Amino acid sequence: MRILEVRNLVKVFGGLRAVDGLDLTIDEGQILGLIGPNGAGKSTAFNCIAGVYPPTAGEVCFYGEKTNGQKPWDLCSKGLARTFQIVKPFASKSLLYNVMVGAFSKTRKRGKAEEKALEVLTSLHLYAKKDMKAANLTIADRKRLEIARALATEPKLLLLDEVMAGLRPTEVDEMVAIIRTLRDRGITVFLIEHIMRAIMALSDRIVVIHYGRKISEGTPKEVASDERVIKAYLGEDYGVS
Amino acid sequence: MTGKNLEKAFLALVLMVVFGLPLILRSPTYLHILVLLYLYAYLTTSWNLVGGFAGVLPLGHAAFFGIGAYTSTVLYVQYGVSPWFGMVLGGVIASITGIMIGLPTFKMRGAYFALATIAFGEGMRVMVENIDHLGPLNINGPRGLQIPPLNVGLANLMFINKEPYYYIILVMLIAVLALTYVISRSRLGYYLNAGGEEPEAAMSLGVNVARCKLMAMAMSSFLTALAGSFYAQFSLFIHPKSVISLDLSFEIAFIALIGGRGSIVGPVLGALLLRPVSDFSRIYFGATLPGLHLIIFGTVLILVMIYLPRGLQQPLTRAYQRILNRLAQSPR
Repeated sequence: MRILEVRNLVKVFGGLRAVDGLDLTIDEGQILGLIGPNGAGKSTAFNCIAGVYPPTAGEVCFYGEKTNGQKPWDLCSKGLARTFQIVKPFASKSLLYNVMVGAFSKTRKRGKAEEKALEVLTSLHLYAKKDMKAANLTIADRKRLEIARALATEPKLLLLDEVMAGLRPTEVDEMVAIIRTLRDRGITVFLIEHIMRAIMALSDRIVVIHYGRKISEGTPKEVASDERVIKAYLGEDYGVS
Repeated sequence: MTGKNLEKAFLALVLMVVFGLPLILRSPTYLHILVLLYLYAYLTTSWNLVGGFAGVLPLGHAAFFGIGAYTSTVLYVQYGVSPWFGMVLGGVIASITGIMIGLPTFKMRGAYFALATIAFGEGMRVMVENIDHLGPLNINGPRGLQIPPLNVGLANLMFINKEPYYYIILVMLIAVLALTYVISRSRLGYYLNAGGEEPEAAMSLGVNVARCKLMAMAMSSFLTALAGSFYAQFSLFIHPKSVISLDLSFEIAFIALIGGRGSIVGPVLGALLLRPVSDFSRIYFGATLPGLHLIIFGTVLILVMIYLPRGLQQPLTRAYQRILNRLAQSPR
């Protein structure tokens, strides 16, 4: 079953075509990686899919339904959740409070929301810190909190925007393990990442974009040996031997 | 005794004191001061729904207060309609006005929202000052309206003594505090806090931030207007400067900021501290140093913002918790 289909997506900011005719599809249960040099338009594409920006042209379909121009909160109730590259915790509140905000999207009852939030916190090994203020967390825990909040909304598709940036290698390994468990729970994952070791290990397929256009797509192995990808990352002058 | 029971006992004690106070305190002056103290605590608690939970700084709440005061007064003086009815109608009108103000302004951030609401409040005052007749309604411009103290009694929300006013505003205050408590633990409370702190993150978690803020604004302006009607019946004379003044909007914000925005007890603590300051400085220095209370407010506000950014409620609730814990653990 096709969970997300993006056709000819264009997003223009003034004179800049941040995303320029992007096509991609994700099937249910897959992990799709999106990579590209800085400024390639990865986060903009995410924001268009998640409803933050209305696309200038093209189509975004979630479970076959066209969702262009729908608001983030509507998409969230349909089962699309996301994290932010620059983490945005509700800093003055406890972790439990943070996650309960997400859990409230599926229930009005406080008791149920709390139960769900505790379950999610436990699964991400944050239970012991549930009463800590989000402002006092380390960056690794903040990234994990982002995922916890998104998970509490019971998503079918989860967009992860650089959840491993700034983490130490051991923390990256922990995060890779967490993302694998998400897939085991039946959540489809679409992730942007710069840490190649992680994205190569995780992704079923990878899409590479550069200047808003897709330049390559395939299994991690195929993408890694694609000449265009290497040139996009290392420059035109770099010879491939 | 467990902590929960101690807390209940403490609450019961406070309720006994506030309900019993008029039996001991016979002086109308002190009762008057207390009525105003409760009124401001009530107003600030209503303001807190938007200014505290939703994380914006509205500075035009006097306009809603004025709407309440003028609606009930005009209806009573001209048509003899019970102020209780005027109170509710004023609340509804204020609520609609609040939504109309919120629709364009909630998109603004920080100081811009505050400025827009100041402009709204001041615009309202200038309009009322310059209009004598609004259709068939006589609002009497800058001269204000006087309520003839005839037909006193509960039906007309008018009394000779201060005690009935005291109990009415006390019940209103308790009701609005209870409402705030319920909201703060509900989905709406969580959503307001989340939307106030990180709107983008909140939206991605399923929160329609704008709609939540409008709901809070509708409730807050409704409740504020009720207090306006009460005040009109209490003082029996209203004019634009007394019920739609910028000073009133500012004083509410002062009390909230000093007591602790976004907390339930904050507005009450703020009013407890600041109202006596303003009343007594008016009584003792009114002739020599008018406006002294504003200087004191400003100084207190600066000190609080530097040393206690979350308001006076922060150290006080901590101390209260500590005492409760010690009492709960002490051997019997």
